[in-house]
Amino acid sequence: MSSDPPLAAEQATSTDVLLEIADYSGGFTSQTGVFTHVLNGVAFSVARSTITALVGETGSGKTVTALSILGLLPRTFRRISGSILFEGRDLLKLDDEELRAVRGSQICMVFQDARTALNPVFTIGTQISDVSRLHQRVSKKQARNTAVEVLDRVRIPDPRRCMRQYPHELSGGMAQRAQLAMALVCRPRLLILDEPTTGLDVTIQADILELIVDLNRNEGMTTLFITHDLGIVAETCDAVVVMQYGEVRETGTCEQIITSPRNAYTQMLIAASRFQGVSE
Amino acid sequence: MLPRSLTFFLALAVICMLGIAAILSAFWTPHPPTALETGPPFASPTWAHPFGTDAVGADIFSRTLSATHVDVGITIAVVGLALLVGTIWGSIIGFYGGWADAVSLRLLQVLQSFPALLLAMLVIFALGNGIRNVILVVAVIPLPDYVRLSRAEIRSKKTWQFAEAARLTGRRPIGVLFRHLVPNSMRPLVANASINASWVAATVGALGFVGLGIEPGSVEWGSMVAGGQAAVGSGGWWISFFPGLGIFFLSAAFHLLGDALTDADISRRS
Repeated sequence: MSSDPPLAAEQATSTDVLLEIADYSGGFTSQTGVFTHVLNGVAFSVARSTITALVGETGSGKTVTALSILGLLPRTFRRISGSILFEGRDLLKLDDEELRAVRGSQICMVFQDARTALNPVFTIGTQISDVSRLHQRVSKKQARNTAVEVLDRVRIPDPRRCMRQYPHELSGGMAQRAQLAMALVCRPRLLILDEPTTGLDVTIQADILELIVDLNRNEGMTTLFITHDLGIVAETCDAVVVMQYGEVRETGTCEQIITSPRNAYTQMLIAASRFQGVSE
Repeated sequence: MLPRSLTFFLALAVICMLGIAAILSAFWTPHPPTALETGPPFASPTWAHPFGTDAVGADIFSRTLSATHVDVGITIAVVGLALLVGTIWGSIIGFYGGWADAVSLRLLQVLQSFPALLLAMLVIFALGNGIRNVILVVAVIPLPDYVRLSRAEIRSKKTWQFAEAARLTGRRPIGVLFRHLVPNSMRPLVANASINASWVAATVGALGFVGLGIEPGSVEWGSMVAGGQAAVGSGGWWISFFPGLGIFFLSAAFHLLGDALTDADISRRS
């Protein structure tokens, strides 16, 4: 159960909520039939035009929660209870066809390692225009023009050159921008970033974070930012959801969580991060 | 992307030359390939008849050239068919698994338990001669290799992140398979197809040699080699030699090409 019901309830009643997960529980069934709980009454909401951080250690259920939003869990996953409301619609009740319409056009996800998330045999241009052609009735030429625009939006220096490049020709930071461009091409309403800066150089990391913040400030992009790095959270996010062992430990605004964490686990996380000074 | 070895380019050059000869021979040969008495019978190679003539005075050069489009054509058709069917079949069972996968594997094992050439000879003997039958039968025999290879490729790649990322962009599973996974698995399949083409060229020749395969009277390397057998004993080596050389070059070139492609694929992976 959420350890912080007052705040969750307060956010849920607001009209500005884009995504609301309530009492979401489930787990995986092994081949021998043993059931393991991985999510236990997960509840939090993401307000429109904010960057919400989903923080927790490895195995805390962050990614499973994110994949649940997109309905992309392995068949061994079984849901016990809960709902995931996106703009008032329960995503868990949609059929495959309806979910596919949501994926890639309304909700998009960016992975940690961009170079493995991009298809090695196609150029960046082909991959980005493919996505827009999948969701919109546009000609090849229009799709390619849109792709150049979106590459420009994520500040790739020479978008036309990048269009012709293959993923292995790009640096880690450039590949992450290209992946971000692929996510943004259909102008989604929710962007899920799964550890998007882990594994990048610190300077590149800062560039990408700046880009994400700018997308939020300038275009009102609602973002769910999955990370284990509280340093990043302090710099970029508006709200924070702390998870441990498949449960939400604490939710609140960024300032509140960093400066006066109420939950013991949150205090531990902050103490362990390089922003120790902030909490004291 | 492509291998840069000398073998690769030599093999490719030989295949291109055979291809050009095949196209050319469909329109033009010095003498009509089935014409008799174009010169003296049993003439050894001369400028007028560069490959000599046979017992009835037919021009061996024209016949060998004319057979190129039959042999090269059959080889390409067989490999194309096996590659197409094998890739689709293997990709689907590798991606979806389940009972179709299990049944397919048993079926392929049964097919593989027959000796290849014997099976081909029996089936053609039963179905009757004809280019279509040869293509079908010779394509079915190596099919298990293609199916297994593409199945393995898809199985090893379907959990890669770009496949998941592709699903996240709203693609249906079948779209992820054919748009994203299959293009990523083509490299070893093409290498296999090239090595397989070498076997196909030799097998088509072998079937022609024993009188199975294409219709009697049409010109094909294997049957030409068989036709010249009797003359070899009395010194008329050229009647069998030149069509045999054709089979050799076609088969060897594809094998070396396939070797070079496989080497390139292995070095790329390691």
